Amino acid sequence: MAAYLARRIGQSLLTVFLTLTTVFLLVRLAPGDPAAAYAPPTASSADLQRIRAQFGLDGPLITQYGIFLRDLFTGDLGTSYSFRAPAFDVVMDRMPYTITLAVSAIAVTTVIAVPLGVWMARRADTKRELGANVLTIAGQSMPDFWTGVMLLTVFAVLVPVLPASGFTSWSGLVLPTVTVAILQLALVSRLVRREMTVALAAPYTTVARSRGVSERALAWRYGLRNSAVPLLTALGTRFAALLNGVVVVEVVFGWPGVGSLVVRALATRDYPLIQATVVVTATLAILVQLIVDLAYPLLDPRVRLGKAA
Amino acid sequence: MTPTPQRALPESERLGRRTLLRGCALGAAGIALGPLSACAGPTGAPGPGTLTLGLNRSLVSLDNKLNQFDAAVTVQRAVRQALTRIGPGMRPEPILADRFEMTGPTAWTVRLRDGVRYSDGSPVTIEDVTTALEMYSKVNGSFLLGLFPELPAVEPVDERTFLLRTERPVPVLDRLMANIHITPAAANKPEELQSGVGSGPYRVVRADSGAGEYTLARNTRYWGPRPHLDTVRVRFVPEESSRVIALRSGELDVIDTITPDSAEQLTGLPGVTVQKTSGVRICQLFYNFRKGRGHPLADARVRHALTYAVDGESLVRDVLTDSAEQARGVVPLAIEGAVRTGSYTYDPRRAKSLLKSLGATDLRVRIIWESGEFAGDASVMEAVAGMLQDIGVRVRLQQFQPGGDILKWRQGRAGDWDVIGNGYPGTTGQALTSLQGMYGGTAEKERTRDTYMGYVVPRVQRQLSAAATEADARERDRQLAAVQHAIWDTWPSLWAFAPKTLLARRDRVHDLNLLRLNAYDLSTVRLEG
Repeated sequence: MAAYLARRIGQSLLTVFLTLTTVFLLVRLAPGDPAAAYAPPTASSADLQRIRAQFGLDGPLITQYGIFLRDLFTGDLGTSYSFRAPAFDVVMDRMPYTITLAVSAIAVTTVIAVPLGVWMARRADTKRELGANVLTIAGQSMPDFWTGVMLLTVFAVLVPVLPASGFTSWSGLVLPTVTVAILQLALVSRLVRREMTVALAAPYTTVARSRGVSERALAWRYGLRNSAVPLLTALGTRFAALLNGVVVVEVVFGWPGVGSLVVRALATRDYPLIQATVVVTATLAILVQLIVDLAYPLLDPRVRLGKAA
Repeated sequence: MTPTPQRALPESERLGRRTLLRGCALGAAGIALGPLSACAGPTGAPGPGTLTLGLNRSLVSLDNKLNQFDAAVTVQRAVRQALTRIGPGMRPEPILADRFEMTGPTAWTVRLRDGVRYSDGSPVTIEDVTTALEMYSKVNGSFLLGLFPELPAVEPVDERTFLLRTERPVPVLDRLMANIHITPAAANKPEELQSGVGSGPYRVVRADSGAGEYTLARNTRYWGPRPHLDTVRVRFVPEESSRVIALRSGELDVIDTITPDSAEQLTGLPGVTVQKTSGVRICQLFYNFRKGRGHPLADARVRHALTYAVDGESLVRDVLTDSAEQARGVVPLAIEGAVRTGSYTYDPRRAKSLLKSLGATDLRVRIIWESGEFAGDASVMEAVAGMLQDIGVRVRLQQFQPGGDILKWRQGRAGDWDVIGNGYPGTTGQALTSLQGMYGGTAEKERTRDTYMGYVVPRVQRQLSAAATEADARERDRQLAAVQHAIWDTWPSLWAFAPKTLLARRDRVHDLNLLRLNAYDLSTVRLEG
């Protein structure tokens, strides 16, 4: 177990490092000039050159990379051009909002999609299942921008029971959560349905059925438990993706998470902020995947980490 | 046979797994609820004494050294003040000074208003003015420095009076000083200040610069009439449709810098009023003045002929939905010192015949612009391209993403182009500074590509320099009028328009006097109902 953990942590560090190096190069190869984005349109060439020097962008790329690595190993991710504050701190200020939205969206998705998937599996190939399928796929097919604006129109304007934007109270969490959850519902419920259908047709279920176990118990105690590993994998992957920020939803709802921060950082070519966001979100995403992997033996004792199954 | 998992395991291990799983669930809930508890508080519609503004751009600080755009000015000046301000008539008015007058060609006498104190109780002093000028001068990339031909030196005369001296006459110094915000000297730095100590009608009680959200409360030490509002909340809502919805729901009281589409949506809705005023920004389809001598666009007659192809009236009516005015001068007529120099006429037949007579029959035009340069930019460009094609000009449109490489293109370092869609702000509300910024190019500046699209016309530049140092206001206005006519005759733009300033507010908001500079004085705003 310890060797497995050490290997995974080593892999994770390498992944973060390679991701960061790729991002470092890509943002500098992309069109645009941070100095031009920072300075007013009336700035002269000399002004721009001074700003480039101030940002450390006047040296060769390899020198910039060397300085970046040196600072990285001392825990310094640079100063955001637009916020004039340590980039890491700016990202960490936004992370609680992103984590809150991700956790609540995954919680709502799980609470709705898992029972729905079980229900669909038990009623496979019926008109009701078809109806549920159509509804969830429709939800997934609608652009999140449109879903968000429609929810805002209904619940903030026509029936004004929820705030339209920002996160100043608990109620502000409802509409962004529902918008994100609607997108995940079809994916998770259909996955549960598929896994459950296989599990409910497995020999051990047939044996249990022959022993008089009720259909409800078959579904929840036998089928769902055996579907837990793929379900956890899917939820973990979705959760990790949400930690990178739900850009459109954050913009529509004025949600102060990392997604909207990244949009701004890209528009202003704020290299330190882009890099700090990548470090934080990539680390969190890898951590979530690691936790998911470690959770497999808890859900299925047949799984042994670090050994062939 | 597949074993049933729960029977294959010992009881203790099952309990351990469950405990762990429960622990994970509790942990996740903790992560979710932790930030929530920090953010819990009142929401929804603002209270009776609270005005909530929804800005379209994030206000990084309440200082303006690097960050002065439209509505930000409203908020920044509610906290920090300058010696003067540009008032409703687009004329400078004294604020922290009660006297600000030119007492010599290169000297202005200024007297600080008696008894003015900052929100922390300390008095406003001459040293604060000196330090403010010094700090602004040290900021890299400050757009304000570009407006000043030179920064004045401060010479104290007595405790409240001082001279502002320049080497050459700067007749619009009273206007320019409206942008220099005064802060206690000890707290001033050559960067944007994060603290909120100022002499304005409001003080900062909560600031989250990362999220662009601020809460201001009435400054009890304010020297002027008592502000009507108890609290002003500033929120950053980037998406326009969300801002419109939040205004309709009553969550926001004022949204500014709205597009014509949103203004149309909001017009006539109960509880909402849309305010419009002429704007000080000019949006131009500006020609590239770096064309070689033999190029058709280097000939002012060809540039003039092409203007006949553009149906400006229909662009304003159908594409810009009457949210703009066609330019009738080289700067918007809403700014002080602007004069009417001519107008754009739509006559495609004339365009065709003129081009034919000038031998410019096989013209190819590349039009470039950055997304978001003005509302409806892509639609305007597509319509203009269609109009040019109607007279036989082949057009290529090239759109750049914000923050992309358009600067290199503008400077002619990345590729050739013929017309650029560009907006130029009228920050000082005075024609002279806008004219100098756009048309004051010299051969020396052009060597570093620092002229406005390569516009270098020595005669115009000389006239502008003379006007800029003319101390007599009447003579300066006469010279400025002459130079505007001279510029118009060079046909710098294929077409130009001045977008109107648009703002939407709830009906409970009163006495919001929207200025042409797209700002308003928060101290006069009051709430009813």
